[in-house]
Parts: sequence; structure tokens; C-alpha cells
Amino acid sequence: MLTKRKVLRASSLALLVGGLLLAGCKGGEERSAASSSAAEPATPRRGGTVVLGWTGEPSGVNELTDPSSLPTLELLFRLYLHLLEEQPDYEVHPPTLAPQLAKSYEWSDGHKTLTFHLREDAMWSDGVPVTAEDVRWTWQAQVNPDVAWDSFDAKRWITDVEVVDPHTVRMRFSRVYAKQLLDANEGVILPKHAWEKLPFSQWRQNSEWFKAHLVVDGPFTVSSWVHQQQIVMQRNDRYYEKGLPYLDRAVMRIVPDQASAFAQLLNGELDFVPQIAPSDVPRVKANPRLQLIEYWFNLYVTVVWNNERPLFSDPEVRQALTMAIDRQTIVDTVLGPFGRVATSPITSLVWAHDKSIKPWPYDPAKATAILAAKGWKDTDGDGVLDRQGKPFAFDLITNTGNQLRSDATVMIQEQLKKVGIRVTPRQLEWNTMISSILGGSFDAAMMGYSLDTSLDMTTNFHSRAIAEGGNNPRYRNPEMDRLLETAASQPEILAERPYLDRIQQILHRDQPMTLLWESKRLTAVNKRVRNVKPTVAASLFNLKEWWIKPEG
Amino acid sequence: MSGFLLRRLGASLLLLLLVLTVTFFLLRLLPGDPMHLFEGQRLTVEQQQKLEKYYGFNRPLPQQYAAWLAAVALRGDWGTSLSQQRPVTSALLEALPATAALASAALGVEYAAALLLGVAAAGRRRSAVDHAIRIGSLLLFSLPTFWLGLMAILLFSYLLPVLPASHMHSVDAELMSPVGWLFDLLRHLTLPALVLGLSATGGTARFVRASLIEVMSQDYIRAARAKGLSELRVVWVHGMRNAAVPLIQLFALSLPALLSGSLVTEVVFSWPGLGQLTFNAILTRDYPLILGSTALSATLVILGNLVADVLQALVDPRARDA
Repeated sequence: MLTKRKVLRASSLALLVGGLLLAGCKGGEERSAASSSAAEPATPRRGGTVVLGWTGEPSGVNELTDPSSLPTLELLFRLYLHLLEEQPDYEVHPPTLAPQLAKSYEWSDGHKTLTFHLREDAMWSDGVPVTAEDVRWTWQAQVNPDVAWDSFDAKRWITDVEVVDPHTVRMRFSRVYAKQLLDANEGVILPKHAWEKLPFSQWRQNSEWFKAHLVVDGPFTVSSWVHQQQIVMQRNDRYYEKGLPYLDRAVMRIVPDQASAFAQLLNGELDFVPQIAPSDVPRVKANPRLQLIEYWFNLYVTVVWNNERPLFSDPEVRQALTMAIDRQTIVDTVLGPFGRVATSPITSLVWAHDKSIKPWPYDPAKATAILAAKGWKDTDGDGVLDRQGKPFAFDLITNTGNQLRSDATVMIQEQLKKVGIRVTPRQLEWNTMISSILGGSFDAAMMGYSLDTSLDMTTNFHSRAIAEGGNNPRYRNPEMDRLLETAASQPEILAERPYLDRIQQILHRDQPMTLLWESKRLTAVNKRVRNVKPTVAASLFNLKEWWIKPEG
Repeated sequence: MSGFLLRRLGASLLLLLLVLTVTFFLLRLLPGDPMHLFEGQRLTVEQQQKLEKYYGFNRPLPQQYAAWLAAVALRGDWGTSLSQQRPVTSALLEALPATAALASAALGVEYAAALLLGVAAAGRRRSAVDHAIRIGSLLLFSLPTFWLGLMAILLFSYLLPVLPASHMHSVDAELMSPVGWLFDLLRHLTLPALVLGLSATGGTARFVRASLIEVMSQDYIRAARAKGLSELRVVWVHGMRNAAVPLIQLFALSLPALLSGSLVTEVVFSWPGLGQLTFNAILTRDYPLILGSTALSATLVILGNLVADVLQALVDPRARDA
């Protein structure tokens, strides 16, 4: 569903931009994260404040116009509700969608009409009921060109949203496809009565107006917002789940510097830091007040080869490159126990991951043989392979501020040197790097990606997506295009399985990118805070159920 | 004097315009563009074009420049921040007091420490004290601010938890009485001001020392001593009065250093000032905000120099005619 999709999308961005980026995958119980305490006392306690450390500030309270960074979405999804809530249970099947604003839904008209029945006890924080009018108006805002919502694509096939009665709303689709329900559910429902006063044409540039006219239906509201400092989330007493949230307040403290955030976690100023570096783990474990929560994360780090460059246009050469990189050693060195070699964009914690795919072995001899067969030999004895007078040499770019990745680029440089390939690692500032990647003016780039739970890889590998900026390796394969289209047009996600398997196998064979690792996300939390269960979808996924252990 | 002022003011405005023009065009030469703020959001091509049109990025650069300059000069409209979706002026005005507080506290620390150390060193030339001060100053001067900041946090917030590690206020500052609120602010200000101030102290202390040594060899100092004045009075009243003249220039020149130094300090201490604001604006290619913030910093720096010149002119009439 969307919620998760957006979060994942934003999180991969944040990981790229920011610091640590751990990601990973693995099935099993670890996935949905251990609770913050093994033996929870039976009754949670009401009251108290937790202080959360975030490196970035949310950009606003309007999902449709405020740039969606990870902190923005973490905040927004505590303030507003979706029709349905996607559950983090996609290890064995596509994620289930639990009731949220909608208590039930049904399909009709050959799977082209979707009817939602809304709960009657949901209310905005000013006492006005949440109704089907809000749902319809939210859709109108989402598709309005002046609003220019970044996830507008999700609503592309919805032709109408009709109010049947105050608590029944009907959505019509122009076609049947796999992620219809996810698309219907994309985006939080917004308060029509409070926000319709500002014409859509004025929505951009008016971030502060929405803060001043904040009306929410989620478990928390915002009681104060000081830029670059903190955002105080306060319990919304009109939230429909009576008794929740347990906390009085949750304060998002903005701490841009990772090292400062960690220091504040150690001295007790912060209760929670969503992501720490592997190198900080021993100090968390040594501190009796802190607990480490580790869980495999749905993000993979990869070397993107620019398939349009002659050096990387041949799938067999790309295979050779993969075999010349000792990925296990890289993972062991930069991540230790918190990472493992990745084999597919559908990471191994997801139900559709193709377990039959085995990682390409580290085999420099075979790599050398393949390259030689392709005409790459060191004819001038300078230690670098050449062909028709041109050396096998390229730049490997990655973004600044990410130690793990810059370490990995240097290791790749060393490893490829052994087979006669000259790599020059270059670190670029994020915006500069993205610019060269989108423009196709790069050789190879180290990037992190996460695939949302719709598992739709059209934006990543369809040749059409090259111009749109999603297909970064600039990979073209008509068979892949067909498979992606067929998969997406199945009536439900589960039915995509055979196509997804085939897609994964072709990607493994063609190696448009060399997947490096999946990794764990490492969250640190003060033990006084109980029932903390971060998920791949959101660090604050169950914030409404957190509670504070009484002193002593 | 008024002619002098007018001349200086005119030159300052011209300089400001030059700085902004250069910044405007240099920014656009940078790779990357503000639409990548929306990366990961999958804007469709049409949406991206629409936004570019909305913000005027689709027009030729000279036209954009003319429009921007006209808006600023005629209406005082600095535009809307792309990353914050609010007027540039409101973002700047919100961040300015924090930077002003930090910079003035840091200046206070810097000059108080530099005067004490410089005078002490000048009075005991080539003694152990002088050497210790020189080495200490050099050390403070050489240490990177972010490292100094992290060490200060480690020392005073973690090992010996007496001061808060970051931010301008505690979580609950809004609930405090005005006195409590002020006290809370001062507690939060202490570490960043000390770090920013002390890191600049070294150079200034050396300057005070050199300036004072030069003055102290003058005849009128000897005359003062001969009159039987106390050494304290000779140094602080007679010596410093003249040794301070070059310090005024230095004071104005330390403004840019403070503003740029505060960038790092603000990030380390989560201080909500112009440094952090500008830093984020550059990363997101938020052109209007970068220009606004450059204009503000440049104005402060130019003003600082102007004030220095005026003060200089007041104490030394020869400067007026120069």
C-alpha cells in the first residue's frame, strides 16, 4: 500500500542522502523487530513524554504539497489516517490491509468498482465527523494539477470517487490491475471542512497555513513546531481508538549531526534514535539504560552500471564484473553481522523473493576469462586491460557523507584492480550525484534502493522509465518490458508470482546492476520506553502503543 | 563626515548587488536542481514541468535574474523557499535571532578571553606564561570546530553532565516562567558560544599581544610609568586605548568568520540559526533561500565593515580623508 510505499521510497532517499544506511533483509521472526522489552508487564501505563531524535526536520503537515522526506511521513502518518492500514506481514504473502478509517470494503463491476464503508466514530480533532465527503475531496486535491502531488500516479486509473452516503464512498477504476487496492488507499484522508478554504491554486507556497489550520484524525496532533528545533506531538483526545495513545506527548527533536544525536542518546536527553551506525552498537549494548532493536530492512545497496556506456553494455561483461567483486568480504568488513549479500531487488524478507537464485560466486579467474573472450587483454603491460587501444577504466560515484559506501567503493577499486580494471572512486554531493545519474552522464554509481510492497518494478527496469528517471542503469530488454507489464496487469499481486520469479531471474542473468548487500536497521531506545516496535514501514509504526515504565 | 558616510554606503550597496549577482549565476552553474528535492517522490514529467513553470525555472536565466532583482528591489519580495514552502523572509527572520545570540555570545567569549590572554602574554614576553598561552592559542586555533564541539558535548553533557548537548531550549521550555526560560536559553547557549568563541580566541589573542607590545614601547607609556602610575593602569588604560584601535578593524573582520564558523557549530549543536538554514538550502538547491541568506550574511558583513570604518574615522581623522 501506499503508506508503506511512500515511506520506503523516502527512506531509500534518506539513506542515500544521509548517513548510515543500513538495510537488509532476511525472513524470519527478526523481521518485524523485537519489542523493546522481553517481558512486558501486562498493563501499559498512560502518560509521559518520549523524546525522539531525528536528523531531518519534517517539511510540513500537508502530504500533498510538502516534500515527502522520511521524517515528514513518519509525522504525517501519526496525524492522519488512511482508509486502510498496511500491515508489516509480507514475508509469506502480500501485505494485509487492516481496517482504519474504512471498516470494510468490497469489489463489484468486474473488479472496477471499489466501495469503502467508513467507521462512524472517526472524528476530526475539532469534533467534526470524518465522512465520505472528506474522501472524495481528498481525491480531488490529489489529482488537481495545481497541487501537483508527487504520488499522483497512484490515482491515474481512478475515474471517479462518489459519495454514496456520509459513510459510504465508491471509487471507479478504468482498468483492472494488481495494485488497485494499494492505489485506492494511497495518501492520507484530509480535512475538507478545514482546508477547502484555501484554493488549490494557493496550496504550494503556503506550508505554514496548513500548520495554522491543522485538524487531524490520527492518534496525535501537533501542539508546537519550532523550526530546526522540535515538533511536539500531543495525544489527540478525539482519536477513535479509546485509551490510545498511551503517551501524552512525543517530541521530535531535530538533531542534524549523527554523532551529537548518539551522544544525547547516551546521556538520556533522547529516548529514541531510529538509526545508528554499526560502529556504535557496542556502546549501546554496554549501556544498561539502552536497548538495541535490530531488524532486516527492505533496502539494497548496489553498483549501478550505466548500460548505455560501451564498457557496460554487454551482460556477460557485467557478470564478469560481479564475479570480480568479493561481495562477501565487503559485507563482512563494512557491516559485519548486520548485513548479507543481496541477490534480488525483491529482498529476502519479502514473500516473492526468489530463493532459487544463488549469488554469483567471487571468481576472479572466471571473470578474467570472460573479459579475455570479449577482447579485454592487457596488451601494453600497464596492468590495465585494454581493447582497441582503450583501457578498461571508469569512475565509480557515490554520495558524500556515507562512510559505509565510500569504504565499499575503495574495496571495489582494489578488487577490480586485481583483474586489470582501473576504478576511480568519486564522492559527489547528493544533488550533484543524482543530477549525473538522471542525466545518464556517469559510468557506475553506488546507490541504495528499496522496492515498495506493490513489488512493481516498472519504474526501476522498464525501458520507458529511462526517460522518467527511475531506470538508473538505463537497462533495455524487450522481454523485461513485457514481463513487467504482464505482472502489473494481473488482477491481484499474489497472481504476479510466476512473472516476478522470471523478472528476478533475468535481472540475475543480465546484471544491469551488481547487488552488493541487504542490511539490518539498528534502532536504539531507552529501556524506560516500552513496546517499541519499529517496522520496515515506519520507525514510529506503533507509536500510539508505546508507554513509559514507571520510575523505580 | 556625512559625505564620507554616503560614499561608503553607496559602495556597500554596489558591493551587495555584486555579491548577489555573482551568487545568482554561480548557483545555476552548480550541477543539480531544486526539483531533485522531490526525488523519490516520482514526479511525472508533466508535473515537473508544471512546477518549473510555477517557480519560473523554465525561463531564460537573464530573465529570471531580472524578475528576481525587480521583485527584491521594488517590492522587497525575496520569494518563496522551495524546500520550506514559505516566504524566504519568514524563514530568515526566524533563524536570525538564534545566530545573533550565538554570534554575540561567541564574540563576547572571544574578546574577553583574547584580551586577558593577550595582555598576560604581552606583559610577560618570552616567559613560561607567554609560551603556554602561545601554544594553547595555537592549539585552539588549529582544532576543527566540529571536533571541539563534540569533545565539549562528551565532556560537559555526557561524562560530567552539567550542560545540555544541543538545541536552543529544553523540551519543556514553553511551560517555563520568563526567568526560567532565559536561564534555560543561557544554559543551552554556553557550550556552543564557548566552542565558537574559544576557537577564534587564539588568533585574536596573538593580535592583542602584538599590538600591545608595539604600543608599550612608545614614549608616552614610558612617560606614564615615569609618572608613577600603577602597571595595571598603564596597561589597561594607556596601553589598551591605543592598542585597541587595530582591534576595531579585527572585530569587524571577525563577523564573516563567525558567520561561517557558526555553520559548523550550529549543525553540531542543533542550533536553529542561519548556518543550518543555509546549509540545508544549499543541499536542496533552494535558490531563493540561498540568495536571501547570502544577502543577509553579506549585509551583516558589509555593515560590520562600515561600522568599523566609521569607528576608525571617529578615532582617527586621517582615515576619513583616505
